[in-house]
Amino acid sequence: MNVHLQEDLSKHTLRADDGIAKGADLLKVENISLSFGGVKAITDISFDIKKGEIRAIIGPNGAGKTSMLNVINGFYFPQQGTITFRGEKRRRARASETARDGIARTFQNIALFKGMSTLDNIMTGRITLQKRSLLWHALWKGPAEREEIEHREAVERIIDFLEIEHIRKTPVGRLPYGLQKRVELGRALAADPALLLLDEPMAGMNLEEKADMSRFILDVNQQYGTTIALIEHDMGVVMDLSDRVVVLDYGKKIGDGTPDEVRNNPDVIDAYLGVPH
Amino acid sequence: MLSEIFVEPFADMVAAPDFLMQVLWEGLVSGILYALIALGFVLIYRSSRIFNFAQGIMVVFAALTLVGLHEAGVPAWVSVVLTLGVMFVLAVVVERVVLRPLVGQPDIILFMATIGITLFLIGFGEIIFGGENKVMITQELGIPTDSVVFEPFGGLLILEQKDITAAGIAALLVIGLLLFLNKTRMGRAIRALGDDHQAAMSVGISLQTIWVLVWFIAGIIALVTGIAWGARAGVSFALEVIAYKALPVLMLGGLESISGAIVGGLMIGMLEKLFEIYWGQPLLGGNTETWFAFMLALVVLLFRPQGLFGERIIERV
Amino acid sequence: MFYRTAGQFKTSYSADQALFPVRQDAVLLIVILAFAWIIFPLTASEFTFQTLLIPILIYSLAALGLNILTGYAGQLSLGTGAFMGVGAYACYKMVTLMPWMNPIVAILLSGVFSAGIGVVFGIPSLRIKGFYLAIATLAAQFFLVWLFEKWAWLYNYNASGAIQVPNLDMFGVYVAGPQATSFTQYYVVLAIVSLLTWVCINLTRGRPGRTWKATRDMDIAAELIGIDLMRSKLTAFAVSSYIVGVAGALFVFMWRGAAEPNLFDIPLSFRILFIAIIGGLGSVLGNYLGAILIVGLPVVLGIVPEALGLEITSATVEHLNVMIVGGLIIFFLIIEPHGLAQLWRLIREKLIIWPFPH
Ligand SMILES: Nc1ncnc2c1ncn2[C@@H]1O[C@H](COP(=O)(O)OP(=O)(O)OP(=O)(O)O)[C@@H](O)[C@H]1O
Ligand SMILES: [Mg+2]
Repeated sequence: MNVHLQEDLSKHTLRADDGIAKGADLLKVENISLSFGGVKAITDISFDIKKGEIRAIIGPNGAGKTSMLNVINGFYFPQQGTITFRGEKRRRARASETARDGIARTFQNIALFKGMSTLDNIMTGRITLQKRSLLWHALWKGPAEREEIEHREAVERIIDFLEIEHIRKTPVGRLPYGLQKRVELGRALAADPALLLLDEPMAGMNLEEKADMSRFILDVNQQYGTTIALIEHDMGVVMDLSDRVVVLDYGKKIGDGTPDEVRNNPDVIDAYLGVPH
Repeated sequence: MLSEIFVEPFADMVAAPDFLMQVLWEGLVSGILYALIALGFVLIYRSSRIFNFAQGIMVVFAALTLVGLHEAGVPAWVSVVLTLGVMFVLAVVVERVVLRPLVGQPDIILFMATIGITLFLIGFGEIIFGGENKVMITQELGIPTDSVVFEPFGGLLILEQKDITAAGIAALLVIGLLLFLNKTRMGRAIRALGDDHQAAMSVGISLQTIWVLVWFIAGIIALVTGIAWGARAGVSFALEVIAYKALPVLMLGGLESISGAIVGGLMIGMLEKLFEIYWGQPLLGGNTETWFAFMLALVVLLFRPQGLFGERIIERV
Repeated sequence: MFYRTAGQFKTSYSADQALFPVRQDAVLLIVILAFAWIIFPLTASEFTFQTLLIPILIYSLAALGLNILTGYAGQLSLGTGAFMGVGAYACYKMVTLMPWMNPIVAILLSGVFSAGIGVVFGIPSLRIKGFYLAIATLAAQFFLVWLFEKWAWLYNYNASGAIQVPNLDMFGVYVAGPQATSFTQYYVVLAIVSLLTWVCINLTRGRPGRTWKATRDMDIAAELIGIDLMRSKLTAFAVSSYIVGVAGALFVFMWRGAAEPNLFDIPLSFRILFIAIIGGLGSVLGNYLGAILIVGLPVVLGIVPEALGLEITSATVEHLNVMIVGGLIIFFLIIEPHGLAQLWRLIREKLIIWPFPH
């Protein structure tokens, strides 16, 4: 990965650099329960995410993984429990505010802006960092233009890093699935997040694409120091990438630990082999 | 001031219950027609995701065709049959020329296309039938034009027979449609289409057939509305506006809900009349019927975005 | 050949973000501006000013305003006509209450009122989406037109219920009212339309434009990447209604000369919507192309039968016109749902690689 990206980070954002030491709690999830009408999606789950780690969330289909991410980034407000991010308890707030606090994500079903180019999509990731008012933008010349160029430069580094220069101006709707996933990662990275949530970033990819994506994720984590929480079904990938794994099943937590610990956990094995409870 | 808004109207209602009943009856007649038109919208929307703006002009077009044919010397009932034929041809043409090439386009594009149809029919209709007001062939169709007088609470309640007939026919049509939708294979296919395209396809009826059918049903509805409303207000392009009234009904009742269209239509018909008579005319200079239904729907949706009958949907990603 | 871009390389992002990365586009624009600012006004007849040049500019501006809301921010509005009315009535009240006010300032300020009312009627968009919102905008349409009729203060209690544009001058030259010449009015309109078009281009190519498009394309995702949907939608309503309001003021003060409430009724709203859609949603250029088509068509239709020696009454011409516009809408939607602007984009791309197809 190129060095500029790091320089860029230190230059433009202080969000990732929040004084929390590597290895300390970045996010704490405590006793979260969430239900939709009668459906209990999550029951009394607690775990933590430490700064600088890659934390995997795994579990069979419908286990509540996506719902968990949705709670973490404020899309759903849980009926019970608390989320503490950087030592601050989450209040009930609009979902857009969590993004402004430095939590970015990708989606299980790609949620790109179909009518826009790759470049513009990734630029939207920086909207929260652009501060000039509408009036300056109406004039363009001066502060607004400078701001646009400054953020464009940051975005271009991400484009280089993800090796998608050739599709910079292509409308994302025309891109193949694998590239769309990459653009979506780019958009999340553009926000310089303190915590990056990835919902099945490799679903539906071939081996080569998976290898690329794994490399990007590792690079982001190691070079940026970005903390990552990742949902993934491919066990090989999970074991390779993650530092710690939390396992959900039917909305309950059934395992938590290093990849090795989790692999040998009998409850987890049962859940995956489909042993009835 | 406050008493003019909150007390006097209700005092008036209690003081003259016969007049209140008259107002409600007139609202009800309009409401039935709103419900009928809204039903036409719902059927088309459920089966093709098209928000059919042409419904209003179809009412005008059907009424003009009917009157025009009769003026040309065709007997009244034959004119009705021929007009139905014209509405069927219209349905086929719309499906062939407009819907088929636009399958799969975004909603707004299809919506715009129906506005295109509207303009086309306005121009076409004016060229063929001319723009002047016409009189609905009420008597020729055997619709009685006398009125029935009741004397509730010692007051006076006058029901026009043509309104009674209109309400009756509209109600029959609504019932007929409900039976059709619930009891026939075709009807069930239309309803299924709203929920799941795949399921509907598996019934073995082609999408094209269904589209022609729902547009034809919309055409029948247009004709009935045209006759009923034309008997009250004459036949002209101004008739189109009553179709706008179906729109707030759809907001309240939901674009896909058949029962919502019916209940919403009746509610709006009566409430707007009540508001106009007891608040609009004394306090606001009248003619509030142009906007009242829209404002009502807007306010309700602000508090219940899912509409009166919709279930709350939790968005997901 | 004309659009050969080989040899034009961008050396910085600012150059890449320039309005015209391709030189020929800039040349084309200069030609168009030369026509608009010099050649047309010097050669146009009164008829051309009144039936083509001035209305095309004003309709383009109104469509541009609507396009910000519907094309960029994805909020379908059917109430454009009423918001033009708000601009027109606001302007009328300002110039009659404060006759010393500079008319151009009054026109530019009238948009502030329509923006305010636009924001109020935009609030439902926070909870209501799609067609439901479109119907909600009809509430604004019907209510406002009703208000124009019933609130006599708005038209200074004129017996006719209409507003009549008074003579207004600026530095000794009449710019509005019966005394103003089409020549002057054309320049006033052109200046304001050019200014606001430039503003819209700036807004749509930067952060505000991306915010709106994100809201349009996928509002949930937009919110989750940190876009404040309320702000995004309400700014779209404000900017859009501002422009539409100014267009409404121009419509009455620089063109019609007088207005009754029903001028702002639904047909006007739809006319603007057609222009925006036929021109191309989400495009600035498209509004001009659409306006040229919709305004120009009846003029052409009025001339052609005469030239062919056919006897057609003017009423028939008008009806034919309505019918053809309806047909054209369907036709364009079928051949190119993204409108004339997209058609131009495709032609341009062809020209760039021409004569080497690949
Ligand atoms: N918006 C919603 N409304 C109703 N039920 C929901 C909603 N979102 C999720 N659920 C339900 O909650 C449960 C957990 O869903 P979730 O999407 O979190 O699972 P998941 O672990 O991400 O599964 P997968 O591996 O298939 O993505 C499921 O039973 C699902 O049907
Ligand atoms: Mg999931």
